[in-house]
Amino acid sequence: MVEAFAVASGKGGTGKTTTTLALGMALAQRYDVTVVDADTGMANLLFHAGLADAPVTLQDLLAPDARGPDGAAVDVADATYERHGMRVVPCGTSLAAFERSDPSRLREVVAELAADADVLLLDSPATLASKSAVLPIVLADRVVVVTQPTIPALSDALKVQEYAASYGTGVAGVLFNKVRGDLGSVGDQAERYFEGPTLGSIPDSDAARAARDAGEPLLAHAPDSDAAAAYRAAAAGIDPKPKAAGDVADRFRSAVVPERP
Amino acid sequence: MTEGHSPAATEPVRERLPRGDLVGAGVATDFAAPLAASLDDELTGYLRLEPGDALLGGGGSEAVITLADGVPVLTYDAGGDADGPAALAALAGTTPVRVERYRLPTEALAPLHDAVADGSDPFRVAPDAPARELADDDELADRSRRAAPPERRDATGDHDALAAFLADEERVESVRREARAEARARADEWGLTDQLDGD
Repeated sequence: MVEAFAVASGKGGTGKTTTTLALGMALAQRYDVTVVDADTGMANLLFHAGLADAPVTLQDLLAPDARGPDGAAVDVADATYERHGMRVVPCGTSLAAFERSDPSRLREVVAELAADADVLLLDSPATLASKSAVLPIVLADRVVVVTQPTIPALSDALKVQEYAASYGTGVAGVLFNKVRGDLGSVGDQAERYFEGPTLGSIPDSDAARAARDAGEPLLAHAPDSDAAAAYRAAAAGIDPKPKAAGDVADRFRSAVVPERP
Repeated sequence: MTEGHSPAATEPVRERLPRGDLVGAGVATDFAAPLAASLDDELTGYLRLEPGDALLGGGGSEAVITLADGVPVLTYDAGGDADGPAALAALAGTTPVRVERYRLPTEALAPLHDAVADGSDPFRVAPDAPARELADDDELADRSRRAAPPERRDATGDHDALAAFLADEERVESVRREARAEARARADEWGLTDQLDGD
């Protein structure tokens, strides 16, 4: 079985990458999880996952000739790293590699990864403003919407849901991040408008910043923090649905070819 | 607004704000610039905001944000429809907005800002709330919080403005409707229409 989730917010600064790795680690207790940095234009998952020096990344797979930095041919396995109980596919940050990368190859890469996972988490771009930025949402089965408890962030979260719905992609739930104080009635109120439940409220936390600085996922760096506990509780609310791996792989392969961003 | 001395505390807050000296006016494309300028200038006084829909003749009303040393204290809709966090919810997303900045002596605002149990509580907003809810600017929100007096710095954990926004079903549905229309228009632009659900 495999279900692909896009972790998306429609805006920056909501803690998407921290969330992707935290949910990934929590879900990895029960499932085979693969996490992919699908934000190829502003890749940062490698820094959060201690993979800043990864020799081969998604960028190399997206190069037309699929060759790594030393000129040798690379395949998906070369860019996949076992970390913290999950498989992690980071994306590099080289401008030269970005410029020669062909985003249309992403679907092939993801199709291949889908064959080996129960849960595929796609860390998505912080915008809906380009074709390649919406691709993870188009391809995923459901989105996990990450938002902050403010009117602008929630408005963008609603926008993510409506974009997703337009492409037949469901909502696995809404996660409120960087929450100061008590969420109060907001979690329940939001459920009136989102197709998925409010998965949780993650407290604003220095632990998340410290984990990022240490190059470790929050659940590895500060497993006893309130934020880590809240992420584990939120992950328990996500119930991956069995799907034939072939379906997802085929869908990725048949999906649109994005142009260069 | 009234001329001269502040009337008795029994009058509604919106009728007790003295008229200040106009120190600047203009149309802003977002809320961050006027809020940041007020904070940088440590302006004590108020901002009078005329939302874009009112500028375009849509009949929207004006709002007021009072400031102490550049830090927001009270907010209300001048038409009397919304106070405090609910007024912020009504203002959110209404750019462009015409902003007038008024200066007042600290003592002129004291009866509104300092008095205890003077009826201004429903009008109070957290020091960082306008930066968060209107400007969507975390850095400005942090600066506003740090510039607030110590007793107000803890008053930053409320989500009342978002709750007021979510309570306005018509407003939320209009955000969703616009997003759906935008998604379809963009799909057309990007050649993704064959990926749309139901097509």
